[in-house]
Amino acid sequence: MVRWQRGLWLFFLPSFGLLAVVLLWPLGYAIYLSFFDYYLGSDARTFIGLGNYADLLSETRLWRSMWTTMLIAFGSVGLEFVVGFALALALYRLHRSAKVFSVLLFLPHIVTPVVAALFLKWMLASNWGFIDATLLTFNIEPQDWLGSPFWAKVSVILADAWVFTPLIMMVLYAALQGLDTSLIEAAQIDGASNWRILRHVIIPSLIPAIIFTISVRLMDVFRFFDIIYVLTGGGPGTATETITMYTYQLGFRMLEVGKASALGVITLVLVAALLLAINRTLNKTYRGGDR
Amino acid sequence: MSVDAVSRRQRDTYLIFIALCVFTFINLTPLIWAVLTSLKDPRDAFTIPPTIIFEPTLEYHYEVWFENDFFRYLKNSLIISLGTVLVSVPAGSLAAYALSRIPRRSAGPILSALFTIRMFPHMLLAIPFFVMGTFLGMIDTYPLLILALVAINQPFTIWLMHGFFLEIPRDLDEAAAIDGCTSWQAFRIVILPLARPGMTVAALFSLLLSYNEFLFALVLTGTTTKTLPVAIASFGGEDISAWSLSAAGAIGIMLPIVLVMLVLQRHLVRGLTAGAVKG
Amino acid sequence: MAPLTVRQATKSFGSVQVLHGVDVDIEDGEFVVLVGPSGCGKSTLLRLIAGLEDITSGDILIDGKVVSRLHPKDRDIAMVFQSYALYPHMTVAENMGFSLRMRDVGKSEQDRKVREAAGILGLTDLLDRYPRQLSGGQRQRVAMGRAIVRDPKVFLFDEPLSNLDAKLRVQMRAEIRELQKALRTTIVYVTHDQIEAMTMADKIVVMRDGRVEQIGSPLELYDRPANMFVGGFIGSPAMNLLHGRVSEDGRSFTTDDGADIAFSEAVSPAPGRQAVLGLRPEDFTIADGGTPATIRLIEPTGADLLINFDLGGEPITALFHERLALREGETVGLSVPSNKVHFFDPDSGARIE
Ligand SMILES: Nc1ncnc2c1ncn2[C@@H]1O[C@H](COP(=O)(O)OP(=O)(O)OP(=O)(O)O)[C@@H](O)[C@H]1O
Ligand SMILES: [Mg+2]
Repeated sequence: MVRWQRGLWLFFLPSFGLLAVVLLWPLGYAIYLSFFDYYLGSDARTFIGLGNYADLLSETRLWRSMWTTMLIAFGSVGLEFVVGFALALALYRLHRSAKVFSVLLFLPHIVTPVVAALFLKWMLASNWGFIDATLLTFNIEPQDWLGSPFWAKVSVILADAWVFTPLIMMVLYAALQGLDTSLIEAAQIDGASNWRILRHVIIPSLIPAIIFTISVRLMDVFRFFDIIYVLTGGGPGTATETITMYTYQLGFRMLEVGKASALGVITLVLVAALLLAINRTLNKTYRGGDR
Repeated sequence: MSVDAVSRRQRDTYLIFIALCVFTFINLTPLIWAVLTSLKDPRDAFTIPPTIIFEPTLEYHYEVWFENDFFRYLKNSLIISLGTVLVSVPAGSLAAYALSRIPRRSAGPILSALFTIRMFPHMLLAIPFFVMGTFLGMIDTYPLLILALVAINQPFTIWLMHGFFLEIPRDLDEAAAIDGCTSWQAFRIVILPLARPGMTVAALFSLLLSYNEFLFALVLTGTTTKTLPVAIASFGGEDISAWSLSAAGAIGIMLPIVLVMLVLQRHLVRGLTAGAVKG
Repeated sequence: MAPLTVRQATKSFGSVQVLHGVDVDIEDGEFVVLVGPSGCGKSTLLRLIAGLEDITSGDILIDGKVVSRLHPKDRDIAMVFQSYALYPHMTVAENMGFSLRMRDVGKSEQDRKVREAAGILGLTDLLDRYPRQLSGGQRQRVAMGRAIVRDPKVFLFDEPLSNLDAKLRVQMRAEIRELQKALRTTIVYVTHDQIEAMTMADKIVVMRDGRVEQIGSPLELYDRPANMFVGGFIGSPAMNLLHGRVSEDGRSFTTDDGADIAFSEAVSPAPGRQAVLGLRPEDFTIADGGTPATIRLIEPTGADLLINFDLGGEPITALFHERLALREGETVGLSVPSNKVHFFDPDSGARIE
């Protein structure tokens, strides 16, 4: 760094100091805890090496929760992407009224997640919820949206989609607005159909934005907590129990903090692997896009 | 383009407009329904078919705030959110400024590291905070939750502010250096006033993030420091007789956010890509 | 107001070397202009002097003191940036007084100096405005005001006029020159406009690819360019450069394309030698006994007449100050006074005397 600017390194101190104390230290402590059989509240803390990990990895509950996480991740992210992209294109097409729509459509995302989940709960609640009450009016026997294992999963996916589709819509809409319109006009003059323009002009130039949103969303699913907590609490049984929910149960309900930490570390490894994979793809696409 | 094609385009635009209207309406039904519920007497809330036309009452809005401690939770939420902003934004701005001025090859790895940290599973952080908080007897105190929120907020703040600082030309730093400023003086006197709009945006986004945060608030607060999201989640989720009341609470929690969002509209995408709003 | 010396300065950005040992000596109160093609390292040299970049090796001396390792603020220099770099949130007065404020000059003293500088630059009525409320030319003036308030040892200018329109540029050119005469400060001024260089400089430093090609007064550079590059770079329109051979008697030159150019007297380079002949467009006269050349194109600019000739296959540009009655396609005789011809070595490019 240029000599006269060397003092700038000091500017990092407060922030990185904070991060070390409130982020790295707790993280190290969590990793440390993960090697202990430790029930919060008891004085006994036994070192058991990788015991917690071995325990967890041989448990069906863990694998089930992983499976649920994946299902919710791909279900909701897929749905969000398709709907979000369609909305972004529609907004792009509208120009003038787009602003009003984008604000209205964005509302579900900006609402406190817990509150959003409550809103949905009042829609889905059996009998008195808006959906059931409406269906019953027409004498249609409604499903048990939050009580049956299958429908509970669907409800959770829909809830996630309700909250996060606006995010994808906004990011893609912004990317569309940054698009070079002369490309599209040139294609129109060449007589290309709308579909072909979408397929060959618009989508390729949106790839960075698409990858960004999808990857961020996929990783967010590993932190997906508030909505499930309020909507189903992981139930019925463990039907909607994701890894995160399971960690919560372990750590804060059963107070097995050693084991919960181990599960947290496993999640971290999973997320890191996912991040790495996405980074690879990202790099490849970027390099491919350089042509 | 032929007249035909133009009119077809126009027709398509109308169709899209109508479709969007319908979709937006359906999409907002849960919200509208909650607003209606909050204005209903339980007598109207539990009916088949659902009651759309009724005599609205603000009774439950009044009750939830004035008879159910929601003002206290609001106070907690505000103390914690403001505390987080006051710690996170100044520290983050300093780091972001330095990051925007050091050579790119040094800044790149730091930025990716911050991005990676942002991806942390929060659960993994919540456990040690909970354990250490228990040991230190800090559970249910403001500082503990503020520190936890700073931890998840800091990488985002740095990212967002970094973008703002990059937009301030480096010429100004250089002019300031020649005019006799040290790095700190240049930052404080020349750069900071120019970064104020960016800092406001970062502060509002951080405020939103901490106001909305649930997991840490759930495990680290107790009766004295409970925040609004925790309160509303434990309040009426289960008990249907409290529907009107909790709907009123939920709407109340939502309103300030909608206001902040209208202010932030222009910066929304930037905040989103830096990962605001939903940590 | 102090002498400035750059001694064997080199600068590398990573593995790319941008300056290769630059030596420049600037006397107290001298107006020195750095010129050269884009990317030759002018700004880099200026920033080294300012201390905005670290020197890789070599030294910078201001007033006889080595400052190579000092913070820019401790070098006692002022700089006018191409972008002006005015502080947008400060008024004109605050902008101009900022360096005084940072140096703990008293409020009333600050005020006095700012007013004085504003008076010199005609900014007195604008002192309370913000930069965004000023025109480009006014901003430029404020940037200069900011520099002169402080009365530094050396002024540095990096293409300060390039964002102005042509007319304003000419005006500011004169103003800066007058200002320098009045203040008698040392100025290092970067430009790639060689008219600016010629009209303003006491001394011009011509640079190419991180090396100094020649240092001298404008007329020295014009009359006796040290090499082919300087010959071609200084002067507008550019010098005609013809490859060929000096005749045995030294009284003519045969181009590679076979055209013969006759001189009135024998010229200095060794007879029979391979050389590059440099002819300035404005040195040509039309004479019956001259070398025959065909007119390709006539471009009247009003004041001057710019004519493109074909001289035995070589394109030649000539500039005349009188309105000649010539037509395109016509063939006329061109001649050059023998004391106005330049010869360069075809391999090294160096001037041949
Ligand atoms: N920070 C830097 N990092 C790497 N290379 C640089 C840097 N700054 C300048 N260079 C390189 O150094 C060379 C000289 O640049 P410089 O800006 O000094 O040119 P210049 O003579 O001022 O040109 P111009 O007339 O276009 O302003 C260029 O090739 C440029 O690419
Ligand atoms: Mg330059």
